[in-house]
Amino acid sequence: MRFLKAGALLGAGVLTGLSISLFMNIAEARKPFSQEDLKLMNEELMALVKKGDELWHSPKLGKNGLTCANCHPDGANSNPHTFPKFQDNVGKVATLREMINWCIKKPLEGKELPEDSEEMKALEAYAIYMYRGYPLKPGDNTREYPPVKVKSGPGYP
Amino acid sequence: MRISRRKLFKVSAKAGVAAITASALSPLMGVVNVAEARSSRRNKLQPFNFVVIGDTHLYEMSNHRFDKTFSRAIDDILKLRPRPDFVLFIGDLAQFGKVKELEKGKRFLDRLERAGIKYFIIPGEHDWYLDMGRTWKRMFGKPFWSFDHKGVHFIGMNSILVEDYWTARNMSPEERMLAIAELECHVCGLWGVGERQLEWLEKDVKKLSPDTPVVVFTHSPLWEYYPRWNFQTKDAPQIREILSKFEKVIAIHGHVHQVVYNRTGNMVHIGNLATAWPWPYPPVELPYPKVRMLRVDPGDIYDGVGFASTYIDETFIGTMKYHTWAELIPDEFKDGVPL
Repeated sequence: MRFLKAGALLGAGVLTGLSISLFMNIAEARKPFSQEDLKLMNEELMALVKKGDELWHSPKLGKNGLTCANCHPDGANSNPHTFPKFQDNVGKVATLREMINWCIKKPLEGKELPEDSEEMKALEAYAIYMYRGYPLKPGDNTREYPPVKVKSGPGYP
Repeated sequence: MRISRRKLFKVSAKAGVAAITASALSPLMGVVNVAEARSSRRNKLQPFNFVVIGDTHLYEMSNHRFDKTFSRAIDDILKLRPRPDFVLFIGDLAQFGKVKELEKGKRFLDRLERAGIKYFIIPGEHDWYLDMGRTWKRMFGKPFWSFDHKGVHFIGMNSILVEDYWTARNMSPEERMLAIAELECHVCGLWGVGERQLEWLEKDVKKLSPDTPVVVFTHSPLWEYYPRWNFQTKDAPQIREILSKFEKVIAIHGHVHQVVYNRTGNMVHIGNLATAWPWPYPPVELPYPKVRMLRVDPGDIYDGVGFASTYIDETFIGTMKYHTWAELIPDEFKDGVPL
C-alpha cells in the first residue's frame, strides 16, 4: 500500500506537468496493480461508500428529521452522472457537491457542508456508486434516472 | 390441516401467475373481458365517491412541513363537492410509530369525523414496528376489516408483516423501527399479510357472488413491482387467487408515494400519492409507462404530493383523480385514471 501511495503522488506530479499522451506512455510502462493492491484500494472505496450510505440515511445533516434517503432511496434520482449541469433551483451550472448542499439547506433545513469535507466526499461517493456503470452525461436535464438495480438484502449487490 | 392449506395456496398461486402471464400477453383480450363483465352487470350501483389519503409520515416536532401538507389535504377534502362518502387512510400516518406522532395524526383525522366524514384506516410499517402495532391498535382497532357500502364490498388488510429480524440481532424497539423506516432496509426482508389474514379473507369473500364489486385496500402493492423497496406483498399471489372469482376488483395501495398503475387478471391496481414526499420510480420498467407523475420541484413542499378521490359509477367503472397542488399529473389523466 505504501508503494501505491508513492506511486499515486508521483503520478499526480507527472500529470500536472506533462501532456496526457506522455502520461499514457508512463502508464503503459508501469506494471499493472496486483490483485491484492486492487482489493485494498476497493476496500478503501467501499469504506467511504459505507460512510456515505450512513450519512445519506442520517437525520443529523438536517434539522427537520429528514434524510437524503427520504427522497432518494438507494440514491435514486440523484443522477450524479449528469453533473455538472444547469440547476434550475440553484440558478447556475452546479456540481454534484453544490446540489448535495442545496438539498441539505432546503429540504433538510440544515447547514451546508464544506465542499472538501470528508462527509461531502462520502455522500458523493455513495451517490456515484449507486449509479456505477452509467455513461457520463454532463448537462443532461432531460430526465430522471433510476439507480442501479439492487436485490433485496444487505449490501449493494 | 395448516400445511395442506399452504400446499393448496402454492399450487393455486402458480395457476394465478399463469393466468396473469396470459392476460399480459394479450392485453386486448383482458380489456374485452372486462367490458363484457361490465355490460352484464345486472344490479346497477348507486354512484358515489370516496377519498384515499395516506403516507403522511408525521414527525413529533411541531409545525413540521409534513403537518402543513397533511393539514392542507384535510382542508381540501372538507371542501370537496360532491362530498366523499368516506375517507380511506392507506397507512404510514406516523414516521417512527411514536405515540405522539400517532396522536397528532388522529387529531388531523378527527377533523374529518367532526365534519361528518367517516374514515377507515389500515397501518403502514412506519406505524407499526416501534411497539408492534400496540398503540395503533389501541387508537384505531383492528388492522384488517371489511364493510359493504352501496353494493360495493370494501376490504382493508395489514400487508406490512415481516418475519422477526430483530430478536437474533438483539435490536431495541427503536433500532427495529429505524431499520424498517428505511425503504432500502437491508435486514427486514419481504413483507405480506400472513396466513391468518389469508384465512380471514377467504372466509370474508366466501358467500359473495362473483358479480359483487370489490375494492381491496393495502399499504403495499398486490403485485411484484420492486422488492428491494418492498414495493410488493409477499402473499399477493394468494390474495389475487382468492379474489379471482370476482368479475372485477379495484386494488388501491399506498407506500410507493407515486402515480403507478397495473392490471393483473381481474384486478386493476393503482398507487396513491403521499402527502409527505414523493418516491422516485425504481429501476424497473413501468407496466403502464404513461400513467406516471411528472418531474417534481424539490424546493416546493407542496409539489409531488397529494391525495386522491375515487369515483364509482353505476357499472363499477372507477376513476381515480389525483388532487395535487403543482403540475404533477400528465394532461391525459388530469380528470382521473380509469379503473
